[in-house]
Amino acid sequence: MRRGPTWPIHLALLAVSAVMLMPLYWVFRTSVTGDNIFAYPPALLPRHAHLYYFVDVWYYVPFARFLVNSAVVSLIAVASNVVLNAMAGYALTLEFRAKRAVVLLLLSCMMIPFQATIIPAYLITKELRLLNTHLGLALPLCSTIVCIFVFKAAFDAVPRSLIDAARLDGLGDLGILARIMLPLSTAAVATNVVLAFIWSWNNFLWPLIVVRNQEMQTLPLALSTFLSYLENTTGALYAFCIMALIPGLVVFVLAQKQFVEGLTAGATKG
Amino acid sequence: MRRVLLNRYTLVLGGLAVAVIAWNLFVATHSDGRIEGHVVGPDGRPVAGALVTLREKTLTTLEPRATVETDGGGRFAFTGQRVHHFVLEASKEGRGTSGRIDYRLAFRGQNFSIAEPLRLHL
Amino acid sequence: MIAARRWRRQGMVWLLLAPSLAIFFLYRIVPLGWNAVLSVQKWSPLRPAEFAGLYHYEEMFFHDDVFWTSLKNTLVYMASAPIGIALALALALLVNAGIRGRTVYRAIIFASYPLMTVAVGIIWRWLYDEKLGLINYALIRLGVIDKGIAFLDSFIWAMPAVIAAAIWQIVGFFMIVLLAGLQGIPPNLHEAAAIDGAGPLQRFLSITVPLLRPSLFLCLVLGIINSFTSFDLIYVMTRGGPNYATELLITYIYRAAFVLSQLDYAAALTVVLFLLLLGVTWAANRASGGEAGAVEAAE
Repeated sequence: MRRGPTWPIHLALLAVSAVMLMPLYWVFRTSVTGDNIFAYPPALLPRHAHLYYFVDVWYYVPFARFLVNSAVVSLIAVASNVVLNAMAGYALTLEFRAKRAVVLLLLSCMMIPFQATIIPAYLITKELRLLNTHLGLALPLCSTIVCIFVFKAAFDAVPRSLIDAARLDGLGDLGILARIMLPLSTAAVATNVVLAFIWSWNNFLWPLIVVRNQEMQTLPLALSTFLSYLENTTGALYAFCIMALIPGLVVFVLAQKQFVEGLTAGATKG
Repeated sequence: MRRVLLNRYTLVLGGLAVAVIAWNLFVATHSDGRIEGHVVGPDGRPVAGALVTLREKTLTTLEPRATVETDGGGRFAFTGQRVHHFVLEASKEGRGTSGRIDYRLAFRGQNFSIAEPLRLHL
Repeated sequence: MIAARRWRRQGMVWLLLAPSLAIFFLYRIVPLGWNAVLSVQKWSPLRPAEFAGLYHYEEMFFHDDVFWTSLKNTLVYMASAPIGIALALALALLVNAGIRGRTVYRAIIFASYPLMTVAVGIIWRWLYDEKLGLINYALIRLGVIDKGIAFLDSFIWAMPAVIAAAIWQIVGFFMIVLLAGLQGIPPNLHEAAAIDGAGPLQRFLSITVPLLRPSLFLCLVLGIINSFTSFDLIYVMTRGGPNYATELLITYIYRAAFVLSQLDYAAALTVVLFLLLLGVTWAANRASGGEAGAVEAAE
């Protein structure tokens, strides 16, 4: 434990926490009161709080449809991430001739940011007739290199003896993957799920490009459209923000450890 | 089994699922869409035969939806209106108008009984 | 037969790798090449492509002021990364100081990172509002200014305002990376130095900073990549305005491709973006001694 006075550190961290939380609190406050938009000067605590802006968002946006869109896209992305990345991660634990080349290829693909590919990605999606579909929205996110290496690291940690015993029992590679590796790597699966969910849920640029009519919008896109139509005229905008942020926050609070592990693993993979 | 149940994922997600189902059940059983209230004159006495108009308020527009008349006791009721944010206006020839009064519901079709009367004034 | 088994093993490996590789091939490698090809063509959906050589590049470098403005803005954005990293370092040191409740503080500071950037943009856009925003209100109450500044509409303040919002969102991520690095420093080094009479500042400079170099440069690389790819915040907060004061290369690329429908010119811009990004990260990597490693730019 630390020697010396701890209260200055607490003071500093409390001040920082206030700065980090204030924007969120302020938006929450406006979403339950509509103050500030129609009443100025603003009050710190909500007066006459009500939940009616949330009702407005539910019916007028309509929130449910975009929530479903986002959920379907995220579901596709998460499921395929777990499956594809586990397969690729397992393949990387085996010995094969082109292994070094493949690893090098994957590492160099990591250097290509999504934003540098948007134009051809759009053209490709158009050729595949996947524009404006859930699959088209999810496809570029269906496998991520960071998560492949997370799986590889987890699979490398499985004791060799278990694998050998399984092979002696006649289990093929797919069997080993499904029955031995995956059950022992629940942390890696959780990391995959969390990262894939957050990335697909928050994705904005790709839906902006691929979605062609209002009904297929995902939540971030719907939020942006709402902003451009209605701007600051209603507290419903901020209620919409809160409603869109809640799933991300819930996942973050539940799975913070996996999220942090996944990010630092990806960030330090060299 | 206990560990599965007490796992925080199960608790949170299960809790959310239960809450969603319970809310939907509540909404389904309470949504006849009946909005009722009564109209009084400037003297506080009920006004019969006043016209009450219901307009739906969206984020950008105000659309008239229905008009009913108050009965002998000054009471009125709208049925089957699937709105959640609306404006009522009562008026009667010679007795004045109540002006536009704003109401918000928690869900569409909620049965709503207005406590405050719509007070006409000239 | 061992040979048959090995052949089957090879087949299985490629079977396992195929779907992932297909996605990377389709959405990362092919686009890279296609961009390069598009950038030297005059292409439009209605006419067949014709080879145009360096036509777009010539227009970009010599006749396009918006390109140079957006490039300058991107570099300014990039230059603000050290500010965020310094803040994150201070926070990491504070959180690492072995006080009670550090996990709570860490969670609060990090919570801004997984939020939807569109929502973050809307929140900050409103904080900066000229008449109703909290920031102007606070500044007026503190007596710093007399009447509200329209931050996002002003040439001078728009970029710093957006950068402040970006730092708010990313400082937690930097802090997490630096915390991981700090926790990798053996405490007996500090103890030994303290016994030798080194003060806290001296210990910080000679032990912590050198051992933290890989993490610091990693944050720098991440910050650089972020400045090249940070589309959502600008789009929601300013749309690149006022008058291109906050237009970044990436927002210009989006506009050129999907608003102005000049896909070939936008492809040329993308090539420049990518080469610039590669160059800067390579330079940062070299400066750190090559330890920063490759990073996923997934967002």
